[in-house]
Amino acid sequence: MILSATARPHPPAAAVSPAKAQIAFSHVTLDLGGKTIIEDVSLDVKPGEFLCIIGASGCGKTTALRLAAGLYQPTSGDVTFDGASMRAPRRDVAIVFQDYGKALLPWRTAAGNVSLALETIGMPASQRPARIDELLHKVGLPNHAGKYPAEMSGGMQQRLQIARCLAQEPKALLMDEPFGALDAMTRQGLQDEVLELVAASGATVIFVTHDLEEAIYLGDRVIGLLPHPGRIGIELTIDLPRPRDQLTTREQPEFLRLRRELFDFIKASEA
Amino acid sequence: MNPALLMWRAASFLVAAGFVGLWQLVANLKLVSPVFLPGPDRAWASLVRGFTSGDLLAKTIGTLEHMAYGWLLASIVGIALGAMIGSSKAMRSYVAPSLEFLRPLPVSAIIPVAIALFGLTQGMALFVIAFGAIWPMLLATVHGFAAVEPRLYEVARSLHMSRLAVIFKIALPSASPDIISGMRLSLTVALILAVVCEILAGLDGLGYWVLLSARAFRSADLFAGVILLGAIGYVTAQAMSMVEQRLLRWRTSGH
Ligand SMILES: Nc1ncnc2c1ncn2[C@@H]1O[C@H](COP(=O)(O)OP(=O)(O)OP(=O)(O)O)[C@@H](O)[C@H]1O
Ligand SMILES: [Mg+2]
Repeated sequence: MILSATARPHPPAAAVSPAKAQIAFSHVTLDLGGKTIIEDVSLDVKPGEFLCIIGASGCGKTTALRLAAGLYQPTSGDVTFDGASMRAPRRDVAIVFQDYGKALLPWRTAAGNVSLALETIGMPASQRPARIDELLHKVGLPNHAGKYPAEMSGGMQQRLQIARCLAQEPKALLMDEPFGALDAMTRQGLQDEVLELVAASGATVIFVTHDLEEAIYLGDRVIGLLPHPGRIGIELTIDLPRPRDQLTTREQPEFLRLRRELFDFIKASEA
Repeated sequence: MNPALLMWRAASFLVAAGFVGLWQLVANLKLVSPVFLPGPDRAWASLVRGFTSGDLLAKTIGTLEHMAYGWLLASIVGIALGAMIGSSKAMRSYVAPSLEFLRPLPVSAIIPVAIALFGLTQGMALFVIAFGAIWPMLLATVHGFAAVEPRLYEVARSLHMSRLAVIFKIALPSASPDIISGMRLSLTVALILAVVCEILAGLDGLGYWVLLSARAFRSADLFAGVILLGAIGYVTAQAMSMVEQRLLRWRTSGH
């Protein structure tokens, strides 16, 4: 069978001791509406690792991410963060939603949206403007502080959501198809920006995408889910050198080989 | 201001001027007895006299006060209740049927009850005005709170926002367009009920002034009062629209 043939044994990740993992799923099963959506998923994400999750539509990627976020509680098994059970969302785990239009406060300007996170972590009002400037600058929106989300393009709104997440000073970023609704050029630009931001902050990332190339380009590791119920079907370590480059990285034989492998996996999983 | 808008303004002004002219014509030709219908000239004179030497200003303020107190009370209670009901699914399903029963109840039916409870007093007026004005706001607030984007609640959870912060920073602003349009509707209701209560209870205000003028066949004074009531309705609605535009700037901006 293709799946077992391509799913290479992957000693480094599997051998990591639970204490060392930052985000750990152990035998996680989740039932929703009488249906098993995620079944017996075990997974360790190390601090600073960039993990990508791919899979066919409806295979449970979003559900897995929401489990990692503490927005869902497993029916059985356990999700832990730094060794502690995820009973509820944590402030140091930020979530970037795909539907940025719904995740921003439309009645607040860009600065106001970033400020929401700063207000909540209790930063004094006098320190906020400087921090807001810094964050908006970081995500490439330095001159848009006074704009309302409705006045911004999709790419800008997603940048803004990322800025708000960075304001939480997260140890981990969970991103659910964050660039799914954006055009190819905007997408590639944001991919590089996210890589830079993550490299600078050292945050752990779980990144859900249905774009195989995006997953390989960004990740240290790619996990593919099988549908009905969602479970891990493939796990690939990406050893492409960093920093990655939109042109040269994507032309490397190793990149093409990995893409082929994931492509075959998706095709088989849909069959 | 763009030319099209200017045209509209000019046209509506001309129509209004036409009405006043027609009114003057009808009065001058005595098509209706002057005892019942004064011309705009006499109504205007009475208006000026009432403000300079009479107590028309005091009556106007009286009506504005009745209206404002009732409306404010209705706003506070309506928004607070609406927030409580709208933010909880259980509350919605428990309370919604009672609301559906109470809402179509004509306010006129509640007036005898209010008179029995409070007598012919300011308290009765406050109660009736507030009771009538609360519905648009209550229902709009319930709807606004129920329609908050669930994603925003997840953002709030992920940030560990306090309950109070969630209400004031997410739910209330999100519901504000609904709430404000409810408040605008209530304003008209409050004015109508202020006049009705003044007439019924003989409270100091334009409603009672209009009634007394009619009884004494002082038609010019009667019309002065009616014009003032119209002006109050118009000005308060305009003011509310301006507040609405300012507060909801985020909605109209952009594409
Ligand atoms: N709250 C829920 N109740 C019942 N079933 C659900 C619920 N949420 C998701 N599901 C089901 O779980 C499965 C996985 O959903 P999920 O949203 O995680 O998929 P996904 O991999 O993110 O898909 P996509 O690529 O389309 O975003 C789907 O079959 C979906 O219908
Ligand atoms: Mg999804």
